[in-house]
Amino acid sequence: MVFYILRRLLFLPLALFGVSLLVFTMIGFLSPYQRLATFINSPERLKSDNVDKLISFYGLDDPIFIQYFRWMKNVFQGNLGWSYVGKAPVLESILIRFPYTLELAIFSVIPIIFLGVSFGVLSALHHNKFLDHILRIFAVVGWSFPDFVFGLIVLMVFYSTLGWFPPGNLSIWAEEIVKSPAFRHITGMLTFDSLLNGRLDVFWDALRHLLGPVLTLTYVEFAFILRITRSSMLEVLRRDYVRTARAKGLEEKAVIHKHARRNALVPVATVSGQTIVGLLAGTVIVETIFNRTGIGSFMAIAAQQLDYASIMGGTLFFGLILILGNLCVDLSYAFIDPRVRLD
Amino acid sequence: MKRFCFVWLLVILLNVVLGGVVFAEMKNPDTYIYLTISEPDTLDPHFAYDTASGEIINFVYENLIAYRDESVTELVPRLSEAVPSADNGLIKDDGKTYVFPIRKGVKFHNGRDLTPEDVEYSFERGILFDPYAGPMWMLIEAIFNYGSLEDFVADKLGMSWEEMFNEDGSLKSEEYAEKLVSFYRQYIDPAIEVEEDDVVFHLVRPFAPFLSILAQNSNWSAILDKETSIEMGLWDGKAENWWKYHSLKKEESPLYQQTIGTGPFKFLEWDRAQQKVTLVRNEEYWGEKPKLAKVIIWGIDEWSTRRAMLEAGDADQIYAPLQYYDQVKTLPGVKVEEGARITITAMHFNWTVNKESKYIGSGQPDGEGIPLDFFSDVHVRKAFSYAFDYDTFIAEVLKGHGIRIPSVIPRGLLGYNENLPMYPFDLEKAKEEFQKAWNGEVWEKGFKLTLLYNTGNEARQTACEMLKENIESLNPKFKIEVQGVQWPNYLDAYKQGQLPAFVIGWLADYPDPHNFIFTYYHSDGVYGGPQGKLYADFAQTHFNALIEQAIAETDPEKRAALYEEIQKIAYENAVGITFYQPGEIFVMRDWVKGWYLNPMRPGEVNYDSIWKEE
Repeated sequence: MVFYILRRLLFLPLALFGVSLLVFTMIGFLSPYQRLATFINSPERLKSDNVDKLISFYGLDDPIFIQYFRWMKNVFQGNLGWSYVGKAPVLESILIRFPYTLELAIFSVIPIIFLGVSFGVLSALHHNKFLDHILRIFAVVGWSFPDFVFGLIVLMVFYSTLGWFPPGNLSIWAEEIVKSPAFRHITGMLTFDSLLNGRLDVFWDALRHLLGPVLTLTYVEFAFILRITRSSMLEVLRRDYVRTARAKGLEEKAVIHKHARRNALVPVATVSGQTIVGLLAGTVIVETIFNRTGIGSFMAIAAQQLDYASIMGGTLFFGLILILGNLCVDLSYAFIDPRVRLD
Repeated sequence: MKRFCFVWLLVILLNVVLGGVVFAEMKNPDTYIYLTISEPDTLDPHFAYDTASGEIINFVYENLIAYRDESVTELVPRLSEAVPSADNGLIKDDGKTYVFPIRKGVKFHNGRDLTPEDVEYSFERGILFDPYAGPMWMLIEAIFNYGSLEDFVADKLGMSWEEMFNEDGSLKSEEYAEKLVSFYRQYIDPAIEVEEDDVVFHLVRPFAPFLSILAQNSNWSAILDKETSIEMGLWDGKAENWWKYHSLKKEESPLYQQTIGTGPFKFLEWDRAQQKVTLVRNEEYWGEKPKLAKVIIWGIDEWSTRRAMLEAGDADQIYAPLQYYDQVKTLPGVKVEEGARITITAMHFNWTVNKESKYIGSGQPDGEGIPLDFFSDVHVRKAFSYAFDYDTFIAEVLKGHGIRIPSVIPRGLLGYNENLPMYPFDLEKAKEEFQKAWNGEVWEKGFKLTLLYNTGNEARQTACEMLKENIESLNPKFKIEVQGVQWPNYLDAYKQGQLPAFVIGWLADYPDPHNFIFTYYHSDGVYGGPQGKLYADFAQTHFNALIEQAIAETDPEKRAALYEEIQKIAYENAVGITFYQPGEIFVMRDWVKGWYLNPMRPGEVNYDSIWKEE
């Protein structure tokens, strides 16, 4: 097991190197003028006639491998470069946004998996009955709802009309407390930090700001888990060992919970892992609508503006999350299903 | 029924617990929250060249003079005790010398006193710094008549910057150091001088708009504290090694994220994760103190979110593009003000398209493309000018918020004359012109070209599409493709001279016709180059001399006459199609009092004089 983890981790730098080379090469296909868009980011910026000088100033016309080595050299010195989109060093830009994304992911993933799995099991147990149909329709609607439409509906209903879930991260009064020197920043996540600081009022405020995006993400994402759980459960219920369990007179509850559900969860673990990694990579539209600028909207703008330092930094970061995320998913198999051996 | 009641009870209960705001009320009476779409680029006044940065700098730093309220012509003293004029004797030598008596008793935010040396230092630092793509060219043009510091150096020393410097910014030879030191001593240092309590500017020739380049709202002319600047690591004020402080990267400037001004607000915080800038009132401000204690300028890209926050009263004012006018004009508790800045949107033609262009079809006059010099024929340009439906565009697309103007000089500036001739929308005339173009060849064989716009700009997209419809209706052999591309691709095609025609706007840097005429018409103007080699030749014979004569002319009437002459030449030769001068809407809560628009103010809000009251 330990060897397995070590082996996977040794593979990590190699994978990151490959990914960075690939992305950098793609950037290399762009002309220096296209890449000037990082610095001249809108037509309004064409106002001085020495903008061309920026090309040689930033070495955009150097051969691509020289640019890559320059970047690599800096990375080894711990410098990921300057982010023109984040208006700060790349690493800092990612690290100040990531807690917002992480917090949203943590709060969303619980209802997504919980609802997805329990409704999925319920749906399978009521196969082709009324409840199954209702749950499936509910799920399909959520799954097919574009997140920007549902996000806007949530914003209109729960903010504009009811005033419950405001956009942003915090109210102004709470932000003043959080930014005061007395407030200790431990995790970077507002809900956890406010609890650790013993500020229940701030926690409550941060939670209110989180619920709109959580609600949106839960509804548009849980359907996927539901469908996988349902079909996997249906398949497992037909298996011999379930029949055996029933035949030996086990209680139906024990059959479902101990024998069937546990086996049905293996594919669910895979897609849940993907969902979590996806949430950690940021949710551009939900972030934008609820104005919780996290890693997703940052990377989207960086890609649009060809801010290569940010793109490369983000690539490494996402690569890291993806590889570690997949490792965790693989490890989780061993816990769910003792037959799986990692060596 | 019981269950229904229970749900309602739950809703009401939740509403109480969560503090619902079904009815918006005024929150935070002395804090102003403005939601916009962008975040500042840098806080260095000599680097910033965008309105989002200017908006912050404008209230944290101060300039020598300022505009009176809404006016862009009437100037009042600020850090100078008087506005120089020929009458008060502070403009001398036929407009080549300007004297500013510096105000006493003004303190910087860190408590240091303002001195004339600070003023001299601020301008010299900016001019020596002159970052690429920055705004300093304006002062360099006004004082020295060069387009950039590097051009100035190259001309005086007979060597280009690249010849003197290695790529890492070090000097190639020590002997250049002496030359550069003497360049500073001979030209830069004497141009701006301290004489007792005054600061004196010496211009190489009269430059009519000089005062407006110095006025408040022009962040490039903001006054910094010399001592603090040097402590922070800005130019050390010495002739030796001044070039080490020239054109740094944006993030390398120590003023990137800190400020040292005298203005009515102090800079508190720039939260880059949330795109949010916070300013607080300067309690020691020498002038009239602002009524607001705190200002929050917050970049929120999504329109629906901005609107929802305004409705809930969580924002006092929001940025609203014209297309949302219908959505906001009836919102309860919200008022919509109208106004116009000094800006235009125009289409200009490329008289010599780069032969690599993908947007000119075959590149031949064979009906499947256009020749590279297609637009150098005046009849083609006239035909395009007749084929745009100006009035419908303004009525439908701009929803009436905009006007048509004869040339590139916006209404409100010297030389604007609404009686100058304009091309009407007239498809018959357009047809006649196309028949004359290229000796009838265009009409006979037809043509094919692509008009590009950068995606996201709906007004420009619609303008191109309207032009396409009208021109294609004249002759089935005329084919125009309208294509939207991402900004990096548009920039690439534009800079490489591949666009056969381009739609581009200009927002005034300073309220003077020169800023527009030079930009669009002069062969060295920012938009002069992209119009191609043949255009440059044309401009050299028809425009350049007149433009240079107009800028050195000090009598406003004679200047206006010169600008009218230039505009007539532009009309006769159909040099470009000015689509419109747009209006704008400003959307705020009813409780906002004292708001007004100065067309030159970056951003939408006069934070220093506005207040909130129910």
